[in-house]
Amino acid sequence: MAGHLLYRLLSTLGVLLVMSMLIFAIVHILPGNVAYAILGEYATKDAVAVLQAKLGLNDPLPVQYWHWLSGMLHGNLGDSVMMQRPAAPLILDALGRSAILAGLSFLLVASCGITLGVFAATHQGRAFDRIATFAQLLFIAIPEFFWGILAVLVFASWMHLLPATGYDPLSESGLLHWISHLILPVLVLSCGLLAHVSRLTRSAMIDVLQSRYVLAARAKGFSAARVLGRHALPNALLPAITILAIDFGLLIGGVVVIETVFAFPGLGRLLVFSIEHHDLPLLQAGMMVVTAIYALANLLADLSYAALNPRIRVGGATA
Amino acid sequence: MSLTRRSLIAASLAATTIRAARAAPGVLRVGISTSLNGLDPLMTTTGDEYIFDNLCFNGLTRMREDLVVEPDLAASWSYSDDLKRWTFKLKQGVKFHDGSVMEAADVAAMFTRMLDPATVSPARSQNDMIDTVVATDPSTVVFNLKVPYGGLADILTDRQVKITPRSAVAQMKTKPIGTGPFKFVSYTPGDRVVLTRNPDYFEVGLPKVAGVELRIIPEISVRVAALQAGDIDILWDLPLEQVKEVAGQSGLRAESIPTASWDGAVLNNAIPPFNDVRVRQAFHLGVDKKDLVELALFGQGLPTISPIPPTHPFYAKDAVIPPIDPAAARKLLAAAGHPDGIKITMITPIGRPLRERLGVTLQQLLKPAGFDFQIQRVPYSSYTAEVSGKAPIYIDGFFARPTIDTSTFPFLHTGASWNNQLWHYSNPAVDKALETARTSGDATVQKTNYIAMQKELVTTPAGMFCYVTNFACAFRGNVDGVHTHPMRWFDLRHATLS
Repeated sequence: MAGHLLYRLLSTLGVLLVMSMLIFAIVHILPGNVAYAILGEYATKDAVAVLQAKLGLNDPLPVQYWHWLSGMLHGNLGDSVMMQRPAAPLILDALGRSAILAGLSFLLVASCGITLGVFAATHQGRAFDRIATFAQLLFIAIPEFFWGILAVLVFASWMHLLPATGYDPLSESGLLHWISHLILPVLVLSCGLLAHVSRLTRSAMIDVLQSRYVLAARAKGFSAARVLGRHALPNALLPAITILAIDFGLLIGGVVVIETVFAFPGLGRLLVFSIEHHDLPLLQAGMMVVTAIYALANLLADLSYAALNPRIRVGGATA
Repeated sequence: MSLTRRSLIAASLAATTIRAARAAPGVLRVGISTSLNGLDPLMTTTGDEYIFDNLCFNGLTRMREDLVVEPDLAASWSYSDDLKRWTFKLKQGVKFHDGSVMEAADVAAMFTRMLDPATVSPARSQNDMIDTVVATDPSTVVFNLKVPYGGLADILTDRQVKITPRSAVAQMKTKPIGTGPFKFVSYTPGDRVVLTRNPDYFEVGLPKVAGVELRIIPEISVRVAALQAGDIDILWDLPLEQVKEVAGQSGLRAESIPTASWDGAVLNNAIPPFNDVRVRQAFHLGVDKKDLVELALFGQGLPTISPIPPTHPFYAKDAVIPPIDPAAARKLLAAAGHPDGIKITMITPIGRPLRERLGVTLQQLLKPAGFDFQIQRVPYSSYTAEVSGKAPIYIDGFFARPTIDTSTFPFLHTGASWNNQLWHYSNPAVDKALETARTSGDATVQKTNYIAMQKELVTTPAGMFCYVTNFACAFRGNVDGVHTHPMRWFDLRHATLS
């Protein structure tokens, strides 16, 4: 297990290094130039030249890459050239708020998705199952930004139930305000993934319920709850866990859309801002942070999967 | 798990009861569209930032909503006969937000910093007629100009040239200090800028509201929903296609006013085919600008000849604009060596929907005149780097400048900055008119020359100045004392919330 862990850690580091090169390359292929972005409609040729020299944009690309990488290894994520302040606190701040959004959504998806899936599987073909299937297909097929704008129109501007936008810090405005700003974004962010996870759990569960060992357990006279909880569920959960790990990546992507729609000040908004303004250092730093989070999530999923399933455990004896 | 559907429903019901008490009392919330890049007014370049500039800071002069220029931090001014030496007397006892007294040395230091090429201030190119700025005593500032310039007091209303303390330059990026009606409290990128009432503001009794929050909401449909829901009190920059819809809703007010911001088709005079004046004339003969206003702007704008808007006294009302004539246009094209018309790529900006509409409208309307345009969409952020000066024809636009001189001279005088970037237009008659107007302090002389310049543009066009656009904002019914400003910023000194 220790060898497996070490191997996985090293390969995660390798992934991060390769990603850093890819991110740097992609970011520098982007058309446009931060000097023009900063000066806006006042970008005269001599002003652009002075600014480019000032920002170090005239160095060769490998030199710029090395400056950036060595800075990161020293814990320095660089400066936002647009906002003229260090990128790390900006990203950390935004990341914290995005984490609340993503974390709550993840909890909602994991709990409700699996429950709904199991319920639909045990009530296969009944009205609930049919309605759930229809809803799942609807939420998978129609993208989040549509639901987001619809939710704002219905709950904020029409029914006046919830605030349309923004975020109120818990420390300043109290629990109710804090929650009121989170309900719509969390629900909309979750709906697609919830459909995804519950659908997958349903089909996995139906497969397991038709297997011979479940038939055997039933023949022994165990109660329906026990057959479901002890025999069927653990096996049906394995694909759900895999899909949750993959969905974590989708969640990060969804956060970008949801934060833009709901004007939620998180990491996704920061990334969009940095792309729009060609703030390359901020973009690079933000993308590296996202990459690191995704790599870590996958590492955790791999390890917990190995821990749950003896057949893919690597390295012989286990504790 | 702790989050069940029932608890979510309960929470959403609980939220209904708390909505009324949400905002701090008396704080005006303004919905803007994008994060501010910087907080130092000298470095700002976007409309969202200019709003901030005008709330936290003052210039020497300011421009009212009716475009009249009045004293701000300056009490009075005078100029020498040759218009090269301007003397400004400052108001006494004006304090910065940190309590220190504003002095002439602060004014001189700010302008010196702006003029220093190393600062890379976007305002420098606009103010390049200024040579030096000197404080002769604590309340007197003298501007020495390189050339005679009649519009200095007007240009000092501009967005970037706000007076800041000379001792606090280093902190302007993060904790800016000004003399304005509101003090900076905090800025969360992507979320909001928080400002509070300046109790020591030099105009006693102002401002009236307790503070201002600039809420950053990128998605326009969400911004409108936020206004309807009461999340914000003022919506900045209402898209022109939504003016009629919002104005019809109860509890909301929309205000759409003419400005001097213009959109146009940039025709490159230095390369074929538009280097031939006949091709440019044919382009103008093929389209009626009134149709462009209807189709691209939903009627919210006015056709124009140059950046001088039809609402300005210097507009050439009596200029004879030839009526649309596709046959004559095709003849001109044939005479210029294009008997089968012209087939060429037209570039339109992604991210500027009205200008994209303008491009498509021109493409369709100009077909009978012999122009066959293929539209290529390019992201607006890479426009300056990749399109300006390279493409034969593209769609672009510019915000209003504070003076007629800064709106016209850089765009149309031979070799001037924007002219070099856009179309390389060169017309001795236009050059002479612009020079005479700029070096005269006499409004009649200016008017005569600007009108001559516009008439010259009708016969010998540079590119097409299609129209000046309206600018619209929307307000909730409880907001009073605020008006949409043609320069796209806000004067919130007299704003009240009921």
